[in-house]
Amino acid sequence: MNRLGCISINHRSAPVEIREKVILSPQDFRSLCSRDLGEVYTLTTCNRSEVYWTGLDEQTIIDHLASLSGIPGKDLRGYCEIYRGEEAIRHLFMVASGLDSLIIGENQILGQVKDAYRQALAAGTTSTFLNKALHRTFRTAKRVRTETSIGRYPVSVASQAVELACHIFGDISLSPVLVIGAGDMAGIAARRLIDRGAGDLCIINRTFSTACDLAKELGGKPRPFSALRDELLRCAIVITSTGSPTPIITRAMMDDVMRQRRNEPMIIIDIAVPRDVEPEVGKCYNCYLYDIDALKTIVDKHVSFRQEETDKAQAIISAEVERFARWAGSLDAQATIRDLFLLMDEYIASEMRANSLEPGQAAIVEQKLRSSLKRYLHRVASYLKEHPTLTNIEQTRRIFQLDEDYQDRHKG
Amino acid sequence: MILWAVVILYVLTGACFITYLFWRRRPVVLIARGMFLASIALHILLTLSLTGPACRIPLVSPVQAVNMMVLLASVVFIFFAFRGQTAVLGAFFLPVAAVALGMTAPGLQAGGTTTPVMFQAWHSLHTVSVVAGEALFAVAFVVSVVYLIHENIIRKGRIHWTAAGLPPLRLLDRILSVCLGAGFVAITAGMLFGALWASSLGVGLSQIAMKISAGAAIWLVFAFSIHQRFAIRWSGRRTALITITGFLIMIILFVGVNLVYPGAHGAGLAR
Repeated sequence: MNRLGCISINHRSAPVEIREKVILSPQDFRSLCSRDLGEVYTLTTCNRSEVYWTGLDEQTIIDHLASLSGIPGKDLRGYCEIYRGEEAIRHLFMVASGLDSLIIGENQILGQVKDAYRQALAAGTTSTFLNKALHRTFRTAKRVRTETSIGRYPVSVASQAVELACHIFGDISLSPVLVIGAGDMAGIAARRLIDRGAGDLCIINRTFSTACDLAKELGGKPRPFSALRDELLRCAIVITSTGSPTPIITRAMMDDVMRQRRNEPMIIIDIAVPRDVEPEVGKCYNCYLYDIDALKTIVDKHVSFRQEETDKAQAIISAEVERFARWAGSLDAQATIRDLFLLMDEYIASEMRANSLEPGQAAIVEQKLRSSLKRYLHRVASYLKEHPTLTNIEQTRRIFQLDEDYQDRHKG
Repeated sequence: MILWAVVILYVLTGACFITYLFWRRRPVVLIARGMFLASIALHILLTLSLTGPACRIPLVSPVQAVNMMVLLASVVFIFFAFRGQTAVLGAFFLPVAAVALGMTAPGLQAGGTTTPVMFQAWHSLHTVSVVAGEALFAVAFVVSVVYLIHENIIRKGRIHWTAAGLPPLRLLDRILSVCLGAGFVAITAGMLFGALWASSLGVGLSQIAMKISAGAAIWLVFAFSIHQRFAIRWSGRRTALITITGFLIMIILFVGVNLVYPGAHGAGLAR
């Protein structure tokens, strides 16, 4: 187990100016890997750059990172979190499960871990140990997602707004969306809606050219501010985030709009401060109004809920780390040979139980069976002693189903 | 025997759908759907067993009418059960169906008094149409309850995970609209057939005044709901509230009229 190491440069340990310089790819490390000695897996996301390795020494990796990033090795070390053995595998499991993310429980990271693994496989930088570790990682992340409620509730204002819209309209691809204002927040919320299938997007801004820019970026259509009323009549989902000091959507306006819309439901997400929509608008029939405070309160509850769920997730990760450590501990030629002979004993005992023989006969049959099997296994044991590589050990354990994992697989 | 098997199956199926509401796993909904199909198949067998040697439509007593109403509403809900977004509606309907069926159980096998006038075509058309309309109103009632629950949750803003599987408001509103529209047509037709049937028997208005008044009251409530919906677009919460009110009035009048005026469709008219 101690053969595994990890260096992580992440949102906790390094500022963005450092993180953006350390962009890693498996190809960069290919030259360091040699058959059965070194394996490397790299993961780069916007919040982290990490290297997992076996059979290499820490300083080699740091030197290589320093040469790739152009940051002196001595300085770089100060931004690194370094894990060894069980701590390294625990860290990998936590990263893939979203427990080490800036937003706890976010699920994009698992896709990024998988993509990085595909790249590593293509570059041929992983082998027995890291392959196993990564398969275990995917399994652990899946367990965390399905056995805990960590990813159950949205934890961003934009996601929560989209969630509410989906609960009202179902398929939001059929609901026209109006974005008022071209700020960051409006853009984020609009992107979330597009991710969930919103197609008909209209952007209104006091400065028409800014609306055009955002519309171009999001694939919507820009409209002048004077068209606000017409668009309110047409759109079912409204996101507003302007810098206006006074409300731009009033109760009187909405009463009229809703009457003309024949009370067709409408959701208004007001993420502007000060608010763009009069609070009284929420009392219009079939009009659902949420302001930034309301959404923030909900999101805060969701965040604290996720925190509570992390205990459960940690328990799953600990169990999986223990299981992986058991497997890693068995990756030893002597241990594998011992397990092989234990398997032989089990096999003989079950055969003797299945065939009830006379006591005298039984002793002879058992002796014959034992000597034949010993002779047969001796060849495997000798080969393992002469070539105790990880690959050979792992293949032997797989062929003879010496680990619970392989037994599970065969049962499935 | 079959009757209690149907009631138990409805209870178990309801439990399965409630489980699905809280624990949305595919095997749970598959089991629930299978059990629902079995419940309906058994319920159809039960209803066929009530037709008797004369092969009359089993609608000769109020309890048989309730039985038929539950069966027809179940047939509507089985369609919902096989659609992903509406599958959880079974969790709200089936417990009500089981209770309704359980309450009518003692009198169901006994049936009612049949008279020759009940074998007339107008009578069959009248009862079938009215019961179909009432069944659709029962569906609309359940959908309205779900609508109000879901809307209340959405207004608060935090969608608890147990509510995450509820159908979207727009879909519930559409179902409500279709059920109310179809139910209203069926009940209007049923009232016309009833009038024609009474006319063919030469029954005086005074004999069925109470029945007519009750029917007219229900008809007016739903007519009001439909008018407001299509003319002023009272979609959503208001329609749901009117539907719930209308359905409760319907139940009260159904029980009341049948208690006070038991012979409306049989012996009373035959005299």
